[in-house]
Amino acid sequence: MADTISDFFQKLGERREQALLGHMRGAVRFDVRGDQGQVDQWVVAVDSGAVTVSHGNAEVDCAIGADRALLESLIKGQANAMSAVLRGELRCSGDVEMLLTIQRIFPGPSSERTTMGQQGVHGDDRPSPDP
Amino acid sequence: MTTDQVQILSGNTFVVSNGSGDIEASSTDPTGLFSFDTRHLSRWVLTFDDQRLTALSTDDLQYFESRFFLVPGTGTVYVDAKQTVIRRRRVADGFKEELTVLNHADEPIDVKVRIEAASDFADLFEVKDALEKKGSYSNDIADGRLRLTYRRDTFVRSTVISASEPCEIDPDGLTFQVHVEPQDAWSTDIDVSIIFLGADPDEVAEVRSPLAWQAPSPVADMAQNLRSWLDETPKLECEWEPLLRCYRRSLVDLAALRFSPISAGGNSLPAAGLPWFMTMFGRDSIFTSLQALPFSPELAATTLRELGLRQGTRFDDFRDEDPGRILHEMRYGEMTAFEERPHSPYYGSADATPLYVVLLDEYERWTGDVQLVRDLEYEARAALHWIDAYANLQGNGYLSYQRRNEATGLENQCWKDSWDSIAYHDGRLAGFPRATCELQGYTYDAKMRAARLARSVWGDPTFADQLEKQAGELKERFNRDFWVEDGEFFALALDAGGAQVDSLTSNIGHLLWSGIVDQAKAERVARHLVGDRLFSGWGVRTMAVGEGRYNPIGYHVGTVWPFDNSFIAWGLRRYGFKDEAAVVAAGILEAAEFFDGQLPEAFGGYPRDMTKYPVRYPTACSPQAWSTGTPLLLLRTMLGLEPVGDNLVVDAALPKTIGRLELLDIPGRWGRIDAFGRGRVDTQMKTG
Repeated sequence: MADTISDFFQKLGERREQALLGHMRGAVRFDVRGDQGQVDQWVVAVDSGAVTVSHGNAEVDCAIGADRALLESLIKGQANAMSAVLRGELRCSGDVEMLLTIQRIFPGPSSERTTMGQQGVHGDDRPSPDP
Repeated sequence: MTTDQVQILSGNTFVVSNGSGDIEASSTDPTGLFSFDTRHLSRWVLTFDDQRLTALSTDDLQYFESRFFLVPGTGTVYVDAKQTVIRRRRVADGFKEELTVLNHADEPIDVKVRIEAASDFADLFEVKDALEKKGSYSNDIADGRLRLTYRRDTFVRSTVISASEPCEIDPDGLTFQVHVEPQDAWSTDIDVSIIFLGADPDEVAEVRSPLAWQAPSPVADMAQNLRSWLDETPKLECEWEPLLRCYRRSLVDLAALRFSPISAGGNSLPAAGLPWFMTMFGRDSIFTSLQALPFSPELAATTLRELGLRQGTRFDDFRDEDPGRILHEMRYGEMTAFEERPHSPYYGSADATPLYVVLLDEYERWTGDVQLVRDLEYEARAALHWIDAYANLQGNGYLSYQRRNEATGLENQCWKDSWDSIAYHDGRLAGFPRATCELQGYTYDAKMRAARLARSVWGDPTFADQLEKQAGELKERFNRDFWVEDGEFFALALDAGGAQVDSLTSNIGHLLWSGIVDQAKAERVARHLVGDRLFSGWGVRTMAVGEGRYNPIGYHVGTVWPFDNSFIAWGLRRYGFKDEAAVVAAGILEAAEFFDGQLPEAFGGYPRDMTKYPVRYPTACSPQAWSTGTPLLLLRTMLGLEPVGDNLVVDAALPKTIGRLELLDIPGRWGRIDAFGRGRVDTQMKTG
């Protein structure tokens, strides 16, 4: 099944290095609830920017619950994680700092910003300071 | 209703009631119990045999605690009342109210005591506009509790009310049948809890450290917490009594303004203002942390961590978010949740990002906490990257702003954020994007300071050289492009076409603070700041007399802002104008006397010899964080406190009126140290 969510987590795992998650040390689990109520679980473990992704349950520091449709919207940049939390649509238990950090992996909506500047900015552009 | 409003708070939970402790909110009466930007009680009315009570007196015991002395009946007949009712209210996670009935009569009494409760669950943003709610309400009674709930789809907020004494609970309140013997008392504790976000326990099992999404637990003992806060801040001794009062007041207000984001593990940062701005603001939290650094450096550490955690990572026009940008404002209410407002968080601030880097460096200079500088290297670099890559909207290398959210974003993204603040000498408003001058100063300072950190902490001398080179070029261009030749001051801004917005404003004081001003021009700038057009006798006006839009009670076009003046005084010191800094400090501190030591957000720009007292600008927000921080920064400035290596240099230049002054146990990388000074500057002679 061609699947936005599996693709997203697979790519996240392949990228390995994620400067945006630099501070994170620990694991976050996404509990994704499908239409029939079945829960699909993805675990993202990070240690100093090195990312490992696994499918299935594991003990974690932070668990994030969402319906499949919401997670797909987050992955496509159509929904915002923090307002979803305030709505009670994205539910979190455990270390809140990790929720704030892990939500950085979701892209923004397609933006006017990308066409505004002379800086040659792209939608997936990230500040990538040279260490 | 404004005269007898009582407000008490803890974190971002606060109660605004009338003088007898009742809450009867309406569109014109913004009373209530508020938490996380939502009103959790809009009605809370005490009756005694169906009669309202009259307040004899109200004690604001502490910022988190109030006591109301009441007698039954209304009007003027209460003088022979035989009963007293005392409500003692403490704000915590919601609030706790201890209700006591004292019977002074010789006979026993039987009385029906009732509390009526209701909530409209209004978003703070809705309170003023009285908007129609889109969700539904329910009142449920279970396990001896009344639970008021508001639901809109998955959005749920609740208020849970219970009492320690037996009572009848109905959907609209609690009723106690009270019997009190002669000369005896009856008492009950009423608990009002708020539920912010309830996690579904089934779905989030197997977590190492479960944490419910609700208001942070209250500090176990608020009084003890306040005492230890006061114990840990430096002691002031001084011959001028008003300054002692002002200092004490500032410390207590700053304690009240502390706010712990859920992610901060109990640590606090300064919120912007009480009660409506008890949330994280990039600019306000940074400025206040800078002001308070010599007194409570932990505030800066928490501000840096929490703002860093929420730094922008993507482009989002609705939130005016860019990668690396530091947030402007965070809100938690319904309108933010449903994206009717962009504050989740909103990023429309042009100064918070460079100021973030400034604070990081200043924090390390005081505390020697290099670990935090290492931890936040990525954030600092991303902030610097934002300035060059995404804030150069005019394409001329100056930091400028223009909102992308035209509907609910902020037009002015500098501290002077009212609609008419960026005006030419002739009163016309400048177009967008706008490059205000102080933003260039902050950028210069951020790059110079980041260069120091890159060299001494991040081990990247190449980056340091590059930053210094950029800063040097910026300084050179700035002193050419912004300098108004005929007036001999720096323009307020460059407009969209790169032309000078040629008003004389207080912003030039921030330029001194930043260090961007050429030495040769500093003298002229200092003369303007203490000259008649800008200096009112109490402080430096936001805009000079004679400018097209000048108005002594115009929010950013003529009033005097204490916070602004504290940074101006710091700027004057930076360029060696010690006496001028003392003049500004003396004016503001003398003004504080007229406000019981609690400086307001702003006061009128009328000349001092005309009004004899500073005229308060009407505002709903008091205390305001950066006004509260003002006396602290003025103390630092007057004492000339400056960390140099591992030492604290003291070089006092105090107004004569202050006499002898000692600041004891100043915390920093040196441990604790004392500073002394004696007033020598005749501040009367320096102006005009």
